[in-house]
Amino acid sequence: MTLIKHENLTHRNKRDMVSQNFTSGNSRLIRNNTYHRLLVASLIVVLGGCRFSSSSNHNPGYLVVGIESNPLQLDPRYSTDANSVRIGGLIYNSLLRSDENSRLQLELAENWQKMDPQTYIFDLRRNTTFHNGQPLTAADVKFTYESILQAKNLSPKRALLKPLQAIDQLGPYRLRFRLAAPHAPFLEHFTIGIVPASSAGDAVSSATPPVGSGPFMLESLQSGEAVTLKANPSYWEGKPSLAGLVFKVVPDAMVRVLEFKKGSIGFMQNDLEPDVLPWIKHNTDAAIEARQGTTFQYIGINLTHPILMHKKVRQALAHAIDRESIIRHLIKDLGTPASGLLSPLNWAYEGRVNQWPHDPEKAKHLLDEAGFPDPDGDGPRPRFKLSFKSTNLDLRRRIAEALKEQLQRLGIELEIRTYEWGTFFSDIKKGNFHLYSLAWVGIQDPDIYHQIFHSASVPPNGDNRGHYSNSQVDQLLEKGRTAMDATERKRIYGEVQRILAEDLPYIPLWWWKNVIVKTSSLQGFVPYPDGDFTALKKVSFRSQTPAQ
Amino acid sequence: MKRYLLQRSLLLLPTLFGALTLVFFLIHLVPGDPIEVMLGETASAADKDELRRSLALDQPLMVQYRSFLTGLLRGDLGRSLYEQSSVTDLIRTRLPATIELTLCAMAIAVIISFPLATLAAVKKGSGIDRGALLFSLVGLSLPNFWLGPLLMIIFSIQLGWTPVSGRGGLDHLVLPSLTLGMGMAAILTRILRGSLLQVSNEDYVRSARAKGLSEKQVWLKHTLRNALLSVITIMSLQFGSLLAGSIITETVFSWPGIGRLTVQAIQTRDYPLVQGCVLVIAISYLLVNLLTDIFYHLVDPRITYGK
Repeated sequence: MTLIKHENLTHRNKRDMVSQNFTSGNSRLIRNNTYHRLLVASLIVVLGGCRFSSSSNHNPGYLVVGIESNPLQLDPRYSTDANSVRIGGLIYNSLLRSDENSRLQLELAENWQKMDPQTYIFDLRRNTTFHNGQPLTAADVKFTYESILQAKNLSPKRALLKPLQAIDQLGPYRLRFRLAAPHAPFLEHFTIGIVPASSAGDAVSSATPPVGSGPFMLESLQSGEAVTLKANPSYWEGKPSLAGLVFKVVPDAMVRVLEFKKGSIGFMQNDLEPDVLPWIKHNTDAAIEARQGTTFQYIGINLTHPILMHKKVRQALAHAIDRESIIRHLIKDLGTPASGLLSPLNWAYEGRVNQWPHDPEKAKHLLDEAGFPDPDGDGPRPRFKLSFKSTNLDLRRRIAEALKEQLQRLGIELEIRTYEWGTFFSDIKKGNFHLYSLAWVGIQDPDIYHQIFHSASVPPNGDNRGHYSNSQVDQLLEKGRTAMDATERKRIYGEVQRILAEDLPYIPLWWWKNVIVKTSSLQGFVPYPDGDFTALKKVSFRSQTPAQ
Repeated sequence: MKRYLLQRSLLLLPTLFGALTLVFFLIHLVPGDPIEVMLGETASAADKDELRRSLALDQPLMVQYRSFLTGLLRGDLGRSLYEQSSVTDLIRTRLPATIELTLCAMAIAVIISFPLATLAAVKKGSGIDRGALLFSLVGLSLPNFWLGPLLMIIFSIQLGWTPVSGRGGLDHLVLPSLTLGMGMAAILTRILRGSLLQVSNEDYVRSARAKGLSEKQVWLKHTLRNALLSVITIMSLQFGSLLAGSIITETVFSWPGIGRLTVQAIQTRDYPLVQGCVLVIAISYLLVNLLTDIFYHLVDPRITYGK
């Protein structure tokens, strides 16, 4: 980019410039007129561009929900970002839907049967219509799944549906899904939102997302500003109590809090700095609720590192970390110490696994046993040095500092490196790390262990970024995929959890709680473990004026 | 003049070409993979490869560059990788918000700084002068991420006069414009005051006084107008950087402008969108520079361009 440089100008006479002023002659009037014209033109441009009256967000009965980022793609066949998935869940129905206990319940399906380990038959409800009045039939379900599977449509969900061999329409309201091989976790994929068969196949042909059949319908979509939904009056479960919902994009957490204080936001879920909650409690009439969630915070370990490949070193690290203290002081009790990836809310959770309570002395013994004695006792020289990678968010940095201090007491020097998300994630994917911290969000089926810890799931084939390899775990994970009996699967994944708690390819930190801040006039919201917005279809305002 | 403008307009092309080339290669050098962002954790390696192939991201960088330039010549900036929308549409949606904010911030800066700097220069050494200098110091020292929330707390929460954030009517525009304009007002006050004092010592000002003109005429017609050149330069530079760089203010005030869009594009490694945003920013800078040259001539007719 260039800057104006005065050498570009050619002055008629340099001497003139200092000896003359510009007020003489007829040109003054002309120039004055020019200034006036410019001034008027500027004002027209400025004011012309402005909207004089505040638009939107003032519809009575609408609840304004503050969200951190702009939902990018509401079409359920293509949505991957959290806000698109959550808002999409209110616009679109799916065959099955997770309830507040993470158990799959019927939604569009009236009933379903597993004919054999590879075949599912679904019967649809007959009174369901899309927002445009068109009935929702088996053809729409078939179209939705097939459009995801078509390679040319580039759906990010295509890989999830790979086990699906064919969908047969057995009648206007009856479908058969045939899998290529038994694949127990496939059930989770019956929660994809259904769009009309008349929709465009790809995500780019249409400027607006297709219509859905959910409790709310899309009213307006303002990129970077807000998504407005209005209640679907002919929803098959009954019209929602709220007249509508406005999802207002407010990127700054503190500003969301101020909006709430002013009353221009009536509901927020998560994405709040733990430090501000006491302020909200004392300065607003908010009802604040923190409920156990499923988001799992952990420290990832590179098992190819010559020091970290020793199990005793990893166990020493686990003993060295004082989770309770970090949870109490840094995240203000918004977490529960974790024992593994699956939280107690998951049906496959196994609680009888090795726990690693804070015990620095035991950690020191383990390090000595592993062959890494402290070279000078309490002296300045460390046992060894490691790097710790994290994103550059303030809270993450503070957690990293706390971990550094805790490990320093054992004689381990931790070098903290923080990066913006893209660079950080690229490094993690490439295995370019010693230790890092991240969180897994939205865990439901325990088959996720296959993606994270199977030896064949090393990137780019999966997310085994630390290169963990245990043949016993591999076998169990393969069995867990094909076992169709829930009790058998629970047993298999219980065993996986016990082995991982001993091997520690991850050091579990905590499961985050979901924090809901809502105006006291709002009632009926039931938090979901994964932070879903589904329960907004059942909330209502008490008699007082709603926050809009 | 016309010839000069034509020459300058033609010179915009190589500058734009240079900026776009630089950004194209830089953004591809930065670590991070848009395919990972688009497909998420669950996609298979084969799917990632397929998507990479279909978006031509597997092609050598020079081939991608050629195809980018070809598209650009056709006026096609491509599609956003992440938002599933055309880059042109996204920019068209967001640019008015940024222009609106920048123009209002500029207006506020001028409204504050011109009278303040003139008063400070006229009454040099007085309380007003010291106050103006203090204002400059404070205005320059206050970061937008601090000033924005402070103004929100005072004007939105305590007094209830304005909305907290978001884009809407004129009331929504007040606080972000004030936040953005305050820093610029501080710079302009300082520069203009200095420039006025410098000009006030010139011979022609003394001559004006000797002619018996009133102090008002001397300051407003002779001194201020001669002092404007340096201020116009600063204003043009500031205006360009405001168009491109009001990212913090746009984030704090949830303002859906081009700055936030650019940051989002960089974070998600949305190459076409980054390139589109940079194109707009580069064009803005160049146009503002061109307009500044025209302004120079309007303010000081002795400045001419070309032969």
